[in-house]
Amino acid sequence: MAKSVAVLVGTKKGLFVLRSGAARSRWRVEGPHFAGQPVTHASFDPRDGASIYAAVNATWGGPRIEVSRDLGKTWKTAANPAFPKGTVGAAAGGGADGELSFKETWHIEPGHASTPDIVWAGTAPAAIFRSDDRGMTWTLVPGLSGHPSRKTWNPGGAGTINLHSIAVDAADPKKLAVGISAGGVYETRDGGKTWAPRNTGLTTETYAPGVVMESGQCVHHLVAHPTAPNVRFMQAHEGIWWWNEAQSRWDSGGDTGRPANYGFAAAIHPHDTETGYVFPLDWPQRMSNELGVAVYRTRDRGKTWKRMTAGLPKGAPMEVMREGLATDRLDPAGVYFGTNAGEVWASADEGKTWQRAAEYLPPVLSVGTATLV
Amino acid sequence: MPVSVRLYGAYSGFAGGAREAKVAGRTLREALDSLVAAHPSLRERIRDEHGRLREHLNVYVNKDDMRFLEGESTPVRDGDVIHVIPAVSGGR
Repeated sequence: MAKSVAVLVGTKKGLFVLRSGAARSRWRVEGPHFAGQPVTHASFDPRDGASIYAAVNATWGGPRIEVSRDLGKTWKTAANPAFPKGTVGAAAGGGADGELSFKETWHIEPGHASTPDIVWAGTAPAAIFRSDDRGMTWTLVPGLSGHPSRKTWNPGGAGTINLHSIAVDAADPKKLAVGISAGGVYETRDGGKTWAPRNTGLTTETYAPGVVMESGQCVHHLVAHPTAPNVRFMQAHEGIWWWNEAQSRWDSGGDTGRPANYGFAAAIHPHDTETGYVFPLDWPQRMSNELGVAVYRTRDRGKTWKRMTAGLPKGAPMEVMREGLATDRLDPAGVYFGTNAGEVWASADEGKTWQRAAEYLPPVLSVGTATLV
Repeated sequence: MPVSVRLYGAYSGFAGGAREAKVAGRTLREALDSLVAAHPSLRERIRDEHGRLREHLNVYVNKDDMRFLEGESTPVRDGDVIHVIPAVSGGR
């Protein structure tokens, strides 16, 4: 039985930790850790129930990964992910290769429960690194950054080619999928030795009309279900997608029922494989449209969507980044999102009602959860 | 009298709060290597994995920016003071 929840809020100027009891009705804000430094992502490791990994992408001193073994009380700086000398890969897009050097960490993901020491990190330039010591040292997984199809990768809006999503399969520790902007989805089934594009079904009409692409798609955020195998859910530049394992393709989450097909954030329900949450944004402003801030929920893999706004300010335009929406592991599930205006909103009833858990924070870059027992 | 390195702002923090170190070396590169040997936590904060000095970092030898001297090959001698300074490059 869970006793409490912590919400890890990465911001443009540090990491904040919001804590609450299991009722999730009152929130206490701690932080910032790494004050003044951008924390692009922070993740909790449910395998030991104590570790937090933070992607600190500082201007001064460069990018680094910080590791806590006591839920954020103390931190230790990890050895950086490092590209071996002479490693070439997609550096600037347009098929141009260059020698790769570590610029930023975009996502840190604990490995499978059966491999408790393995942690994965996605970086800019686009690559995946593996840690075998719970985040303290990192080794490049060469098969992906050197994949022959890398010539199809191009920089996303952030100006880099980056690996921002890591979806570990719930059953098979050697199976994971990653999302690259803009390179598409790739999957390994042998723990990272070999990788293959997994983009069949995705449409590209708004940015590459009429082009048939095996890779190079603009995917925004990909998540895996924490307990059900082969369940993946994704918000892409163009639409919502569910992975169809039997046909090895993406099924459309539907173009109707939401104010925009565009957006960055996506989260999946921790107990229901057909329920997902997104935060649609208008293109090109990348803010919620004139209807205002809202989370949209599907319970049928995207056939129908429900607008969830009870408790949210009416008509307020807000932006939520790709890591800015998350669920906890409780039942009923908690749903959380953080905005570019420095607010964190929490729902303890699966999105039916919302309360402001924090305000006046720096712009929120990421929201992650720790369900603590 | 050895070469001194003064650490400013974030770089002092990366060295556990140290503001000055006495180092050895005949060139700026050797002096910085000596600094890292004394404060290993500075290694990845000063250079990237390929040994290049990081961006947003200014290094002075006495009153001169290393860029206008001989870079990391600039000779240093006893009594020189090296300044490791975060660049004034905020604003993002």
